[in-house]
Amino acid sequence: MENKKITVRVCVGTTCFVMGGANLQELNDIIPRKYGDKAEVLGSNCLGLCSINWEYSKAPYVKIDEDVVSEATTEKVLAELDKKIAEQSKE
Amino acid sequence: MFIDIACSQKKKYNQNAYGDYFSSNRFPNMNRVVAVLSDGLGSGIKANILACMTATMLEKFMENHADIEKSCEIIMNSLPVCKVRGISYATFSAIDCYEDGKAKIVEEGNPDFIWVRGGEVLKPVPQIIPSKTFKNRRMKVYNITLEKYDRIIFCSDGATQVAMGTKRYPLGLERSGLVKIILEKLKENQNIASKELSDYLIHQIELIAPNRELKDDTSIVSIYCRDPRETLIFTGPPYHQEKDNFWARTFMDFKGKKAIAGGTTANIISREMNIPVYADLSVNAGKLPGLSKMEGVDLVTEGILTLTKTLEYLESGKTENNAAKTLMDFILDSDVINFLVGAQMNKAHYDPNLPIEIEIRKNVIKQMKKVLEEKYLKKVNVQFI
Repeated sequence: MENKKITVRVCVGTTCFVMGGANLQELNDIIPRKYGDKAEVLGSNCLGLCSINWEYSKAPYVKIDEDVVSEATTEKVLAELDKKIAEQSKE
Repeated sequence: MFIDIACSQKKKYNQNAYGDYFSSNRFPNMNRVVAVLSDGLGSGIKANILACMTATMLEKFMENHADIEKSCEIIMNSLPVCKVRGISYATFSAIDCYEDGKAKIVEEGNPDFIWVRGGEVLKPVPQIIPSKTFKNRRMKVYNITLEKYDRIIFCSDGATQVAMGTKRYPLGLERSGLVKIILEKLKENQNIASKELSDYLIHQIELIAPNRELKDDTSIVSIYCRDPRETLIFTGPPYHQEKDNFWARTFMDFKGKKAIAGGTTANIISREMNIPVYADLSVNAGKLPGLSKMEGVDLVTEGILTLTKTLEYLESGKTENNAAKTLMDFILDSDVINFLVGAQMNKAHYDPNLPIEIEIRKNVIKQMKKVLEEKYLKKVNVQFI
């Protein structure tokens, strides 16, 4: 069975952006280079996560398919993505 | 009707100061524009001072509806006297016009203004007022009514006398030659903006000049009566959530150009109108979040960071290449700017842990209104919702 393409959504809302989301722009270059057509990167307006339960200090947020990565860094996102792709190939 | 006014100038060859001076002021509350073009005697710094004094003084006099005859006497008496020629002199063309079309034009010494309506040049009859104290000085006063799509062109004599003495133009380009260039250009591009037309004319004049060296300071003032270009900028979620749909509809129904400054605002409009919005990571440049795309909306940017930066650019005039510059260009390309400002606060923006201070949207917009009105002479309406 062919694996489904994984979608990485980077929030570029104001809060996420100032909390470090600006640095996540590099995913835009890294992910296509490293994973080819296994994953794609999309920008997203505010995902609404920063205003839930006063949890906003965990920005920036990235969504990998439906899973939320909080306090995201490039390394953290790539690690999550590796995990996800490994799981997928097991199935 | 909106009065689009612009001036383009070139210095006399080898001079480092302009001998012509243009001064204008717009009064958005009164729907009024006052402008003066003055040509100082001689060239260089001396001419610059004469022209600058004449234009700024006359502009102030006209703003206050002072008697034009008296104003001119005062100006002529206060100008410094040229040592070489023993006279003080600066010619001028001045206009005081309202958006309902009422206009008063006063000329002294400059070539007659050119009034174009529907591809034809009109010939208004002036009232002539001779100067009591100065011989050979006559003012021409016109009280005219402008109609939509009319154009008025003022110029200094540098424009009409260009290339004088050459075989092709023994008496210079002359007013008739300038009229010909204007009409040809208008035929080609009927809706050309004032600035574009004045730039074009100056360039043509420069091309006519032998060796492209202008023998005199040359200025063109172009006025175009047209429909205002209106812009609507929606920023911030409305305070009453149940009205989201109403405001989203109001926004989308707007006839002019539309922009959204705010990710959440874009999400709301997207949800209410069922139009998808895409954040475009690829155009993400500089230290600001990038642009998004939404069908039917001309520009979608992030909110408060971009607005704060745009305000900074508007105030300083210095820009970088990013979303704020795009928003600034978008704003400056309009005559009337309407803001719909949602008063809903985003709690997350006021978290003390944020590495930078985030301004309150209302304040940024208020300051932006001020700078757009005062520095850029725009009409600005702000509605808090």
